[in-house]
Amino acid sequence: MVLLIAGVLGIFILTTPRYDAPSPVETFNVPFVFGRFTIPTDNPLTKESIELGRRLFYDPRLSGTNQISCATCHQQALAFTDGLAGSVGVSGKPLAFNSMSLANLMWGPQRFFWDGRATSLEEQALLPIQHPDEMAQDLGLLVKELSRDETYIALFGIAFGGISNEAIAKALASFQRILISANSRYDQYLRGEISLTEEEELGRKLFMAHPDTKASLRGGNCIDCHSQFLTSGFTAQLDGFSNNGLDNDAALLAGLSEVTGKAEHRGFFKTPTLRNIAVTAPYMHDGRFNTLEEVLNHYNGGIQFSETLSPLIVEADNIDNHQGSTISLNLTEKEERAIISFLHTLTDEQFLSDIRFSDPFKEAPAK
Amino acid sequence: MNIPQKIFLILAIVTVLSACMEQPPKPQKITLRFLPFVGPQPLVFNEYRYSNPGGNGHFKIRDFQFYLSNIRLSAEQHVYQVPDSYHLVRFDNENGFYEINLTVNEPYAFSQITFGVGVDEKANATILNVGDLDPNSRMAWNWEAGYKFILFEGYLSHSEDTISLVYHIGFDENYTELSLPLQLADTPYESTFRVDILSLFNGQNPLDLAEIPSVKFDEEDAARIASGFEDLIQICDASCT
Repeated sequence: MVLLIAGVLGIFILTTPRYDAPSPVETFNVPFVFGRFTIPTDNPLTKESIELGRRLFYDPRLSGTNQISCATCHQQALAFTDGLAGSVGVSGKPLAFNSMSLANLMWGPQRFFWDGRATSLEEQALLPIQHPDEMAQDLGLLVKELSRDETYIALFGIAFGGISNEAIAKALASFQRILISANSRYDQYLRGEISLTEEEELGRKLFMAHPDTKASLRGGNCIDCHSQFLTSGFTAQLDGFSNNGLDNDAALLAGLSEVTGKAEHRGFFKTPTLRNIAVTAPYMHDGRFNTLEEVLNHYNGGIQFSETLSPLIVEADNIDNHQGSTISLNLTEKEERAIISFLHTLTDEQFLSDIRFSDPFKEAPAK
Repeated sequence: MNIPQKIFLILAIVTVLSACMEQPPKPQKITLRFLPFVGPQPLVFNEYRYSNPGGNGHFKIRDFQFYLSNIRLSAEQHVYQVPDSYHLVRFDNENGFYEINLTVNEPYAFSQITFGVGVDEKANATILNVGDLDPNSRMAWNWEAGYKFILFEGYLSHSEDTISLVYHIGFDENYTELSLPLQLADTPYESTFRVDILSLFNGQNPLDLAEIPSVKFDEEDAARIASGFEDLIQICDASCT
């Protein structure tokens, strides 16, 4: 009888591995000016989930060919972009869309992808893994593959009690949540640690102003879509999506309207963060502009009219009573250069080389 | 201590104790509902269905939102101040209206409501996240200029032309307090208000939108639009629902 009980207990212990509890991450530094953020209650940040997410992010086994990882298209040195107009995954076929920078994802629009089709980082994470042109992986096979790796067995065990699709998504989301860029020169300026140069300061003022000739205020109009501190799109509802005049009605893509089903959202795309923008070329959802100069030229005379174009873009003009047929900010060359100078203050070298966000497979093996 | 004194003392203790143990007043749940109109017509976004108040053509509204702040409820000799009361009123949601739900732990029969259209001077000068105030939102100009109190964006279709309409109205001096009777239906406690967007263009003479299609930082123009704030919100009468 005693033996039988011991046997039953033995089986119980064997089939229900017991893991240490994950260690919650209770504090981390974020600038006050970034404002509120939320972390889903069913996926709290833990040391283990972040470590696991980082490992998964850099692991090519996440793709069907074992050759493409998340980091292939999201490279840290490029603020987690890839320098290409359209990213190239396992199919070798360039995607229609530009790889988005991953920084400060807990703020700004909580919809992901250029067209906002995912409503959480957890939901987002599994889509590129399965996309035939991106990573072309079967999730069932992926779970099996990871279940043969002892490091993953241990990490998943502690973080989530086992390996599953859901746990993979949660871990990747946790890692992405801690990709916080908050030590650019602009941040240092906001903290009162440095002054900007004269040109940068002119650029900052132009960035932060909607032009108003009647009030003698010149502006670059950036802030109408890019919030003052985050420089991302706005968080509330769909305020972080906009049609910024890239195409006329004939060429306009569906964008957000594909997700909402509303005609008024046609050609709306996610307003990206401008953090580290100097290292994330090419620009726009399809990577059509190679330089920041081209981007500024777009807003300064290259706007295409369409039915859903933002009236703020049509109206913003630094020339009084302007009667011309082109829609333009009519900034001077000096002003354009100043805005670009300011945009360079958003580069955060610490973020671009922070060891916490780097490839764990390239770390020196522990002694 | 003689016996009557002891009885008195015991009674006093019992009285104090029972006062302490008294049930807190049942919280009053009050719903304030705001329905959007453009003059007599209900608001429908993105359709050229509203006449230019002082000129030719029709306009459509693409975006409309505004701050309503510092709600106070008044009863006889008592005023309840709603904490952190900064509400971004917007109608681009599934319901097509905006609701504020209050829980008031005070037993008074409130008969009047007071609130501000806009953001009060003190809050307008900070970058704190209080209520719906968010310095990284679409309603923030920048930390030097403060908040837009009202955001109206759309287009005017005017003879052959399409004119963009941008009315971003802020500035401390345009913060406007309104007081209205609070008419609470028995149950549920609900009071319905009518928001008339057209009032923004009728504060003085009806505005020709083609003549002033955009108001942002010009103080005189901003004051002209803001003179309509006092008629922006009214009690919803029978014609409203």
